[in-house]
Amino acid sequence: MSAAVVIARTGRAEWARIWSVRSSWLFVLATAVAVLGIGAIAGTDASAPPPGATAWDGSRPCALFALFGILAMAVVTSTADHGTRGIVPTVQWTPRRGVLLAARAGVIVAVMTLLASVLVVVATVVVWALKGGVGLPAGEGARTVGDLAFVYASGALLAVGLGLVTHSTAAALVIVIALVLVLPLLVAQLPFGWTTEIATHLPGSGALFLIFGEGPSDDMTTTSARLTMAVWAVAALTAGGWRLLRTDVDR
Amino acid sequence: MSISVQGLTKTYGTVRAVDDLTFDVEAGKVTGFLGPNGAGKSTTMRMVMGLDRPTSGTATVNGRPYAEHPAPVREVGALLDAAAMHPGRTGRAHLRIGAHANGIPRSRVDEVLDQVGLTAAAGRRIRGYSLGMRQRLGIAAALLGDPRVLLFDEPVNGLDLDGVRWIRALLRGFADEGRTVLVSSHLMSEMQLIADRVVIIGRGRLITDAGIDEVLRGLGGQRVRVRTPRAGDLRAALAARAAVEATAPGELEVTGLSATEVGDLAHELGAPVHHLAEVEQSLEHAYLSLTEGSVDYHGATA
Repeated sequence: MSAAVVIARTGRAEWARIWSVRSSWLFVLATAVAVLGIGAIAGTDASAPPPGATAWDGSRPCALFALFGILAMAVVTSTADHGTRGIVPTVQWTPRRGVLLAARAGVIVAVMTLLASVLVVVATVVVWALKGGVGLPAGEGARTVGDLAFVYASGALLAVGLGLVTHSTAAALVIVIALVLVLPLLVAQLPFGWTTEIATHLPGSGALFLIFGEGPSDDMTTTSARLTMAVWAVAALTAGGWRLLRTDVDR
Repeated sequence: MSISVQGLTKTYGTVRAVDDLTFDVEAGKVTGFLGPNGAGKSTTMRMVMGLDRPTSGTATVNGRPYAEHPAPVREVGALLDAAAMHPGRTGRAHLRIGAHANGIPRSRVDEVLDQVGLTAAAGRRIRGYSLGMRQRLGIAAALLGDPRVLLFDEPVNGLDLDGVRWIRALLRGFADEGRTVLVSSHLMSEMQLIADRVVIIGRGRLITDAGIDEVLRGLGGQRVRVRTPRAGDLRAALAARAAVEATAPGELEVTGLSATEVGDLAHELGAPVHHLAEVEQSLEHAYLSLTEGSVDYHGATA
């Protein structure tokens, strides 16, 4: 049996694992309400849009809410097996842990990226429909969704990695929210040059730069922001993968 | 079709949970896996299933480690911990995940649900299941791939009498079909009823690996229990002819004489006898005698 078949089967099981619990649907609902709600608020805002503004500009806050929704969902999805000890039958059903890691990370990242991207696109359409005088250019949309998809994929990967490292929903949530939201804002406010440098290399700073085009330092570029997010995501997944592959299950 | 454990060792820091354990489990038999709490039974089963990594030694099923089989759940099914399931999922969804992961058709999920008697409850979330229902669901998961080798860790935990009789017949049936069945339990009476062989371990080491009859024979000759208010006198009179042990105030256990002979001797002494019976040879007695000195956790008596 080829590795591709085994990974495909395990991926199907991972997909079933996500949709078969009510909490996943609650996360989808809550994230959708938040993202589309922010889109509706942005669309009905009375202030006149700046010249040349598009609906994609107006939906940037929606993208941030989508990010937090999928980060939380990715953490809960990746840690649920450990919190409930469901990892025991999981590893019995997929004893090749490398396959399990690839399928789990791949499915969660794909689902979260698709979910958040679709929500942002719909929220942007809401902004465009409600706010007069803004366009909905397809080219800008493709670029924006591409950038956002990278943010969501690397953010979800970071969340999965942290979930696999900690095995704890609470711990992984605290760490991921700290890295993506709290620390970039706090550290950047400290009046030292070196703290600005640190803030620049936090994954949240990369995400904020790719969403809003602004970061803690003027030196940040799209490439550096992507690189920062990718390094954090790969590092977290490497650490989480090491724990899954090398240690006893549920010990 | 068999399980082979060779020189298996597992250490946690300074604790040797399993210590150079070697035994084989044959096909067509129910093999009981016994030992006191903390003896290393569950750890051994977890190593067979690839959940724990051995410090040294090997655990193979049909010649290969579990994880190296192309279709592992079609080779081996195991119930290791009935509580290890996501409570927010339905019983059917839990099994479907296992089926998806192994290319098993959905119809098989319904078959095993029917086999364990959970069809009516399959759409309910697991958090609403009793311990016995979870146990049945765990057994259904073990049967999903219709495997030739089955491992069950304490399968009768939480089952009612009907459930116990059902699992007894199930395990016997699997062995009669030629499958390999390894089952751990603390219920010696249960083991005596269903096991053909027993592997007994203590402090991670093998104590015995033998057929049930062999183990019972190892207990020695027939034992007789007698209660009399003149236990001291009777003990002195019996001592020259048999092995005598005081088991309680006014109670003796005699090995090497029949109940008739003990009764006659008491009569000759003029000792009143309040109870006289041959003690049935039990696996429980054999187990206690074999594991004496291997028990890590003792309870205090009032």
